[in-house]
Formats: sequence, structure tokens, C-alpha cells
Amino acid sequence: MVREGRALADITVDTSNYPSAELYEIAARKRRRRRRLAQAGRSLLTAAVALLFFAPILWWLLASFKPTTEILSARPSLIFEPTLNWFRVVIGNDDPTRFNVEQTGSVGRGSGGGTFYSLPYLRDSFVIAGSSTLLVLLLATPAAYALSRFPMRRRKDIAFWILTQRMMPPIVAAFPLFTVFRTLGWIDSYHGLILVHTAINAPLAVLLLLSFFDEVPRDLDDAAMVDGASRFGAFSRIILGYVRGGLMATAVLAFIFSWNEFLLTLVLTTGQIRTVPVASSTFTTAFATEWGYLAALGTASIIPIFVFILLVQRHLVRGLTLGAVK
Amino acid sequence: MAKADTMVSGRGVWRAVLPAVRRVLSADRPLVWLLPVILLLLSIGIYPLLYNLYNSFREFDPVSRQYENVGWENWTKLYTDGRVRGAVANTAVYVAIALVIEFALGLAIAMLLSTGPWGAGLWQSMLILPMVVPPTIAAVMFEVLENADYGSISWILYGLGILDKTEPLLGGTGRYATVAVLLPDIWQWTPFFVLILLAGLKALPTEPLEAAQVDGASAWQRFTHIIMPMLRPMIAVAVLFRLVDLIKVFDYIYVITNGGPGTDTEVISYYAYTRSFQNIEWGYGSTLGLAILVLAIVVANIYVKLLRVEW
Repeated sequence: MVREGRALADITVDTSNYPSAELYEIAARKRRRRRRLAQAGRSLLTAAVALLFFAPILWWLLASFKPTTEILSARPSLIFEPTLNWFRVVIGNDDPTRFNVEQTGSVGRGSGGGTFYSLPYLRDSFVIAGSSTLLVLLLATPAAYALSRFPMRRRKDIAFWILTQRMMPPIVAAFPLFTVFRTLGWIDSYHGLILVHTAINAPLAVLLLLSFFDEVPRDLDDAAMVDGASRFGAFSRIILGYVRGGLMATAVLAFIFSWNEFLLTLVLTTGQIRTVPVASSTFTTAFATEWGYLAALGTASIIPIFVFILLVQRHLVRGLTLGAVK
Repeated sequence: MAKADTMVSGRGVWRAVLPAVRRVLSADRPLVWLLPVILLLLSIGIYPLLYNLYNSFREFDPVSRQYENVGWENWTKLYTDGRVRGAVANTAVYVAIALVIEFALGLAIAMLLSTGPWGAGLWQSMLILPMVVPPTIAAVMFEVLENADYGSISWILYGLGILDKTEPLLGGTGRYATVAVLLPDIWQWTPFFVLILLAGLKALPTEPLEAAQVDGASAWQRFTHIIMPMLRPMIAVAVLFRLVDLIKVFDYIYVITNGGPGTDTEVISYYAYTRSFQNIEWGYGSTLGLAILVLAIVVANIYVKLLRVEW
């Protein structure tokens, strides 16, 4: 490409005015340092924000090991003499009066209508959340598959109708369900609450699973059916395997929403069955000062949920928006 | 399937039906696959609506323990009842403040996380946790933290000079009661915006941003002219979900203030609850419930129309 009559070697460039390579090096290093400094600043700020959001949880976890005097001091302390008393009562069913006498000098009272012993509450929560999660998966998975696969004229309308069910304020359903439950004798029953929690979670489960099924190519169904599988066989033996992650995420979210549900459970029980949120609300109204038991119950009830949610973190955004944001 | 079990009462019937069900499921009949969920949603979603509608034209008399027809009285009461107006206003204030703060804070934190700080994964995991704490537990936590005498949040606010001991968050004249019920909401749901907007930011194509940088756009210009417009669909969805949930707010109010002092923090869900389950005005309570639903649908529809949200 060298033009005729002008060899490359003839072209000379005067480099004496150019900054040396060293100067370039120094400028680049400076830039890198500045960038690292900015990175450090941003990291520090992020850490501060995250820790600020984590602080109430940490405070609560620590409170469940603190003696009352420490809980009731405004200045949060990290160093204290830990006590297992709260857990001994809440999980181990020890007699709370003994600790009350030790700590405050008075016997104190039991909480309103219930006791601080919380294993039954945790069990109720677990039975209801666990069963309703299984049931909702059982009902919603075929529905989501059908919405994803079958040609349907009103597919969008059905999906939207299911979405609107999620918008229903629980207070609207509370009283009618209460009357039906009273008539059927379902107040304070596991199956009644399981059914209600299943219905609450059904829109989430159907729409979330729908978004996962939509990602599995239809060719897989067709191939399976060409090979002799029935529609149900293609669904249960082939396609389900591809949405395992989705099923897991749906299960975790359904479990958590059921575990946290408050208003309907409050209305549909009288105390024979008490889930953790309902029990915790009775602790406070009866007892302005016995925070230790509450902290212990709170700790025992949020730790398993934290583990679950961190397991499906990857699908969380999609789950919280019912598949609208991937 | 257990659902069908309870519906059809009697195991014999169920056993006879089972092979038929299996056969039907093998065909391409969508209705069969959808039916259990639809029945469930109809029974727990639609039935209460109809029952409320029926109930809104009668009222329960606690003395005779009978319902009596009252015509449109419950509906006209909605207009004359000052507490309804107060509750709607309180809800509107609560929703507006919570939405603005949670969105702004969430966007800021999401932007921060998207720049790739050290330990981003860890901080993100930490930010998720508040969202899954049961709201009643969160409410109780904040009740202690906001306590005028021994609450750590109060202590910090006193120390910073933001709050005066004569006007505490909880108790006192109750001037800051709304703030007290908003704090746990903001704490739990700002992370919701962080997660969704962060997912949005990470999915943005980089070319437009690079092109803008080459063209000399400032950071602020890039933010307002490129990032925000591209994030719009995400923002629309996140705000819609939060809006719908905020209109239903109940737990924090129930635990922390019981709607008080007076009716200062009484939101519509809480007001309907007190009418139904404390005053035993079941007819009026049902009417209030329906009104809330209508309000929620209207607000959500206006929002969807205004922003042309593609769900």
C-alpha cells in the first residue's frame, strides 16, 4: 500500500515534543487510582446502606439473647451477657414466671389468651404454609401449562383475570369467608386455612409458572407426543423437568406469603390455631414490656425463611412481579 | 386434586371419576387443566364479592341477632360518614409518601449496586431479607425501635436533633404517628424497588450509554435522557405492584397504632375491619369492603391507562 516514490522510511515524525511513555504511564496510573478510589467510595456507601437495612434484623436477633434491661436500653449494644431464657420459654416450654421473678422481681402474667410457648404456633404456621404450598403447586402447575401450551381464544383474558384476583384486598374476602366458615364449622381448622392460603397464592403460582413454561420450546412437547407420549405424559415426564427451577421459586414464594399472611388468618381463627403472625400480635397487645419472648419467636420464625429465600434469590424479581420482569 | 375431593364429598365418587379424569387430561382440553384453579378462585374470589353485595343492602342487629333489610342506607352512609373520607385521605397520604420514598430510595440504591461495588452480591442478599420478614413481626420490631423511651431509632433521631423528646414518634401528641407506621413499610419494601430496578439496569443495552458518553453527555443527562426512559417499563410494573399492595395496607396499622391516635392513622382496610369485626356492623362493613375494591380497581386502571403499562 505504499505509494510510489515515497517509501515508508522516508516519512519522519518529530517525536521530541511528544510526552514520553513514562508520562502516559503516570497519567494512566492516576486514572486507575482515581477510579479505584471512586469504586471504594461507592462500595463503602453500598455497604453502609445494606447494613442500615440489615440493622433492625440484627438488632432483633441480638434482642432474643439479651436480658430485659439490655432490650430496654435505647443505645443498641453489641456486647452483653447473652441469655437463653427467652428461647427456653418460647421453644422449650419452660415456666416464664421463674424468669420474670429473676429479672423483674414480679411474677408477671401470661400473654392474652395464649402462652409464650411458641412451638405450637410455629407448627401451625408450618402445617398451613407447607400444605398450601404443595396444594397450590398441584393445582397451578397444570393450569399454567395449559395456559402456556393450548391454543385458547381468551388466553390473555384468563391470565389477566387471574392477575386481578391478586389485587383483591383481603378485607373484602374476610367477612364473607368468616360467615361461610362459621356455617361449615371451619373456623380454627387446618383445612379451611390451607384452602384460603392456597387461593391467595394461586394467582402468583399460575402466572409465575406460566412465565417459566413459556420459556420451554414447544418442540419438546411435540417430539414427546410424536414418540407416543400422551399430552399428560409429555407434561409430567418431559416438560416438568425443565421448569424445576421455576417450581422451586414458586414454592418458596408461596410458602413465604402464606407464612406471613395475617388478616384472613386473624379473622378465621379464634385461638385454637395460631400462626406466627397472629400469635406475635397477641404478644404485644397483652404485654407491653415482654419483648424478649417476642424477639425469640421472631428469630425462630424468620431464620428458616431467610434460608429459603436466599436459595431462590435468582428468581426473586420474576416471582415478585408474577413473571412480568425477568 | 384434594380440592376436587372436598367438592365431590365421598371417596367412592372420586374413585369412579379418576380414570375419566386421567383420560380427559390426556386430550388437548384446556378447560380441564384450568378448572381446579378457576373453581378455587371463584369460590374464594368471586363468592365473597357477591355475598358482600347482598350484605350491603342489609344490616345485622346484634340484639335480635337477625339481619334486616336497609335498602341503600349503607351506600348513602359511605358519603355521609366522615370517617370514610378521613380513612381515604389517610390511605392516599400513606400510599403517596410510601411510593415516592420507596421508589426514590430504591432507584438510588439500585444505581449504586449496578456500578459494581465490591461485595455487591453480599449486599444485595442482605437487602432482600427485610422483604420476607412477616409484616406483623416487622411492625412489632419497629414498635420497640420507635419507642419514645428505649427505642433505638428514637434515640438516634434525638441524637441527630431531628426529633424532640417532647414529640416522640409513638405516643405524645401522636403528631408523627403516620411516620411511625410508614417506617416499617419503607424498610420492608424499598428493597422491592431495588431488586426490580437493578434487574432492569443490568439488562439495559450498553451501546446508547457509550454513544452518549462519546457525544459528551453529562452523567445527569445520561440518567434523565437514556437510563430513565429505558427503565420505564420496569418502573411501571414495580410501581403498579406496590400501589396495589399499598392500598391494602393493614398489618402495620393494626399492630403499631390501631388507627390512632384518634383516627389519625386509620386507613380504609383498617376502618372496614373495625366496622365489621369490632362494631359488628356486618352490612356496613361489607359495603366498605366493596368500596375499597372499587377504589383499588379504579386507581389501578387509571394508572395503567395513564402510563399505558404493558403487562
